[in-house]
Amino acid sequence: MAKATQLNTMGRKLLLEKADVEGIRFYDVYRREGGYRSVEKALKTMSPEEIVEEVKKSGLRGRGGAGFPAGMKWSFIAKPEGVPRHLVCNADESEPGTFKDRYLMEFIPHLLIEGLIVASYALGSHATYIYIRGEYAWIPEILEQAIAEAKANGFLGKNILGTGFDCEIYVQRGAGAYICGEETALIESLEGKRGNPRIKPPFPAIKGAWGRPTVVNNVETLAAVVPIINEGGDEYAKIGVGKSTGTKLISACGNINKPGVYEIDMTISVEEFIFSDEYCGGIANGKRLKACIPGGSSVPILPANLLLKTAKGETRYMNYESLSDGGFATGSMMGSGGFIVLDEDQCVVRNTYSLARFYRHESCGQCSPCREGTGWMEKLLLRLEKGEGKISDIDLLWDIQSKIEGNTICPLGDAASWPVAAAIRHFRDEFEWHVTHAAEAQKRNYGLAHYADPIHVPA
Amino acid sequence: MSDIPLFKVTIDNISIEVPAGTTVLNAARMIGGEVAPPAMCYYSKLEGSGGKCRTCLVEVSKGSEKDPRPMPKLVASCRTTVMDGMEVKNITSAKVVDARASIVEFLLLNHPLDCPICDQAGECHLQDLSYEHGKEGTRYEFQRRTFKKHDLGKYIQLHMTRCILCYRCVFTADQLTKKRAHGILDRGDHSEIATFIEKNLDSDFIGNVIDVCPVGALTDKTFRFKNRVWFLKPMDAHRDCPTCSGKVTLWNRGDEVFRVTARKDQWGEVEDWICNDCRFEKKKTSDWVIEGPRLIDRHSVIAQGHYAGTVGMHKPTETFSAVHHGRQPKLLMDIHSVSEVNQADIDLSIIAGPAHSNNFNSNKD
Repeated sequence: MAKATQLNTMGRKLLLEKADVEGIRFYDVYRREGGYRSVEKALKTMSPEEIVEEVKKSGLRGRGGAGFPAGMKWSFIAKPEGVPRHLVCNADESEPGTFKDRYLMEFIPHLLIEGLIVASYALGSHATYIYIRGEYAWIPEILEQAIAEAKANGFLGKNILGTGFDCEIYVQRGAGAYICGEETALIESLEGKRGNPRIKPPFPAIKGAWGRPTVVNNVETLAAVVPIINEGGDEYAKIGVGKSTGTKLISACGNINKPGVYEIDMTISVEEFIFSDEYCGGIANGKRLKACIPGGSSVPILPANLLLKTAKGETRYMNYESLSDGGFATGSMMGSGGFIVLDEDQCVVRNTYSLARFYRHESCGQCSPCREGTGWMEKLLLRLEKGEGKISDIDLLWDIQSKIEGNTICPLGDAASWPVAAAIRHFRDEFEWHVTHAAEAQKRNYGLAHYADPIHVPA
Repeated sequence: MSDIPLFKVTIDNISIEVPAGTTVLNAARMIGGEVAPPAMCYYSKLEGSGGKCRTCLVEVSKGSEKDPRPMPKLVASCRTTVMDGMEVKNITSAKVVDARASIVEFLLLNHPLDCPICDQAGECHLQDLSYEHGKEGTRYEFQRRTFKKHDLGKYIQLHMTRCILCYRCVFTADQLTKKRAHGILDRGDHSEIATFIEKNLDSDFIGNVIDVCPVGALTDKTFRFKNRVWFLKPMDAHRDCPTCSGKVTLWNRGDEVFRVTARKDQWGEVEDWICNDCRFEKKKTSDWVIEGPRLIDRHSVIAQGHYAGTVGMHKPTETFSAVHHGRQPKLLMDIHSVSEVNQADIDLSIIAGPAHSNNFNSNKD
C-alpha cells in the first residue's frame, strides 16, 4: 500500500521543486526557472475575487499550525470604504522543532515574495509586511535583497507590470518572543507595542494592524499561493487526500538519520516518512522509535504504537485528518509540521519538563491561568524529573493543565497544556516510575517499555 | 440614543433588555447581586481594560436567537457583547464555578497573603474574591516569587509581589496623564510593574492608580501603615479644586484626615478621578467641606467599626490563660528589638483602642 502510493506521487514537489537549482536565491535564476509567472497571470488576467476563489478551490489550509482554510480567511477581510487593508506574513517561526519557513526564506526567498505580491493583490494590500523572528538575524537581509530585485524588475512598487496595482513589502524584525507568532500579538508588536495578544473579537480581518482590516498568513501558506495560481486551484486540490490538499513542508528533527525539511504530498504513512531513505532514513544509531511529536512542540506527543497506527488499527498517514484521528485521546495534530522524533533513550518526563520550561518562559503574562499555571507546571515537572516528586504531583499536573486549557486569551495556554496532558495520558507509567524508582531514575532512563507494543484493537 | 436596538439577554435565568453593544458583564451588573461576575481587571472607566484576569468567565449556553449554538469555551464576560436572545450561565454553571475557583487559585499562587500588614486589607478585591470563590488551602508547594524593589517616589508605594497584573494602572496612566512613566517590564510570571529607569510617578492624576489597583500592589505612601481602613470613618467631602472635580471621600479618625480617596461605587470603581493635590496634600479637615458620612456596603468590614463608641465598645477578655489551664503567655520576642515602626515605649497590643498615627515613629522614608 505504502509502496503503491510512493510510485504514484513520489517526488511531487511544488515549493521545493527548484530548491537545489544553483543561484535560485537570486532573481535572474528564479525568473529563468519560471518564477513570477503567477504574478503576471494574476495581475494581468484575474480579478482579486477570482484569486480568492482559486485559493478557496485549492483547499489550502493555513500552514502555521491551526490549519484554517486560507481562502476562507481571505474572504472574511472587511472592505470598508477608504480604509487601507494589510497583508502580514507571519515569519515568526518559533515553535520548537519547526524550521520549514526558515528554509524557504533562506533558499528560495523569491517564492515568498511572489506569493506575497499575488496575495496582496487579492486582498488589496498596498503595504505588506513580513514580520520575521528576531533570532533569524541573517534572513531579513536575504529578503530585502529579494524585494529590491523584484522592485528593480517591476514586480513591486508603483504600477506593477503596468496594471496600476501598487504594492510595497516591508520586513520587520521581531525581538525574540514566541508569543509574537500569535497573530494579534504579532500585530501589536508590528505596531511597535508590547507583544501581548489581543482579546478577540474583533478579529484582525475586521480590526488588525492600526485598526485596519488585516490578514496574517504563514510563510508557507503564502508561498503555496504561487503553485495554486500557476496550476489552478482544482489541480492543486488533486494533490493530497481529502481535506489535506497540496503539499506540506515537514521539518524533521530529533533522533533520526536525516533531519531536514521535506516536502510531502500528505499521502505517505508516518512509518514510511520516518523509516524510508527518501525522508528521515530511520532512527539514528540503530535505536528503536519510542515517541514522536508530529507537529511542533505544542501538539500532543504520541508513543510509537499510536504514532504508526491509529487506535482503530489503521495505518496513520502524514496528513491533517489522519494525524488527528482519535482526537486527543489517541491522536495528535499536523500543527506546523515540526516533526520531533524521540528514540528509546529519551526520557519523556525530561522532554515534557523542557517543553513546560519553554512555555513558562514564553508566556506573555497577560492572563492569569497561563502566567501562573505554566510556572507551576514547570516546577512540578522539574521536581518529578529530579526524582523528588510525589504520585499526587501527576494528578495535580493533570488538573492544572485542564484549568489552563481553554481559559486563556490566546492559544499559548492550550499549547502549554497539550504536551503535558498528552505525556501523562500516554506515558503515565514513566512518570510514576520517576516517583517509585526515584534514585534509579537519576541514573538511567525508563527506556522503550511497552510503548511500541501493538495496540489491542477490539474486533 | 433611541436608535440603538435593545437586545434581550438571559443571565442565570433572569432576563433583561439592554442596548446593543453592552457587554455581558455590564448586563449582569444591571441585574445586580450574585449574577454579576467578579472582575479584577475590567474597569468600566478605562478604555481597553478587561479580558486578562479571567475571573469573569461565563458560559454562553445559547449564542443568540439567530445562531443558538453555545460558545465552545467559557468567555470573558467583560469583553463579550450581548447578542439578541443570548443565554448566559454564571453561578448556575458548574463549569464556571469550577473555572473561577481555579482562577482564584492561580491568582493566589504567588500572592504573599500578607494581608495582616497590607494597607489594602479590608478593601481588597482579591481578598473578597478568595473568600467568595476560593478554596481554603493551597496546593502550591514552592517558593513564592519575589521582585527587586522599585521606588516610585514619595506618593505611591509599589509592592510587586501583591500585583495580579491587571494592567489597570497602565491604562490609567495612559488615559489620565500626559505621559506614562511606568509600565509592564519583562514577560510571563516574571513580568512586573516598574519604571524602566528609576523614576518618580508624579504627574497630576497619577494618584488614581492607587484607587484602581484591585490589590495592595499600589498603595498611598502618605497613608502607609497609618491605620486600618475599618477603623476610619469615610466621609464625603469636596473642595473647590482647580484641577479636578474635588469630590472625594475623606477617611477620618477624630479630626485627623488619614487619607483621601476618590468616591467609589458599588463595583469598587471611582466616580470621579481626583488629582494628586486633593489626594496627597489636603490632609486637614479645614481644607474640605464635609457633606456627610459615605454610605458603605453593610457587608464590608469597613462598616463594622462605625458604631464603636455609640453602641459601646466591648473589650474582649484575655483568653490565653483560660485555654491553657492558667498558664500565662510567655514573651518570645520583644518587637522593639527588631522593629522601629512604633515608638519604643508603646506596645500596640496594650494601648486603648486601635493604633493612631502618633503611636508610630514618624515616616523616615
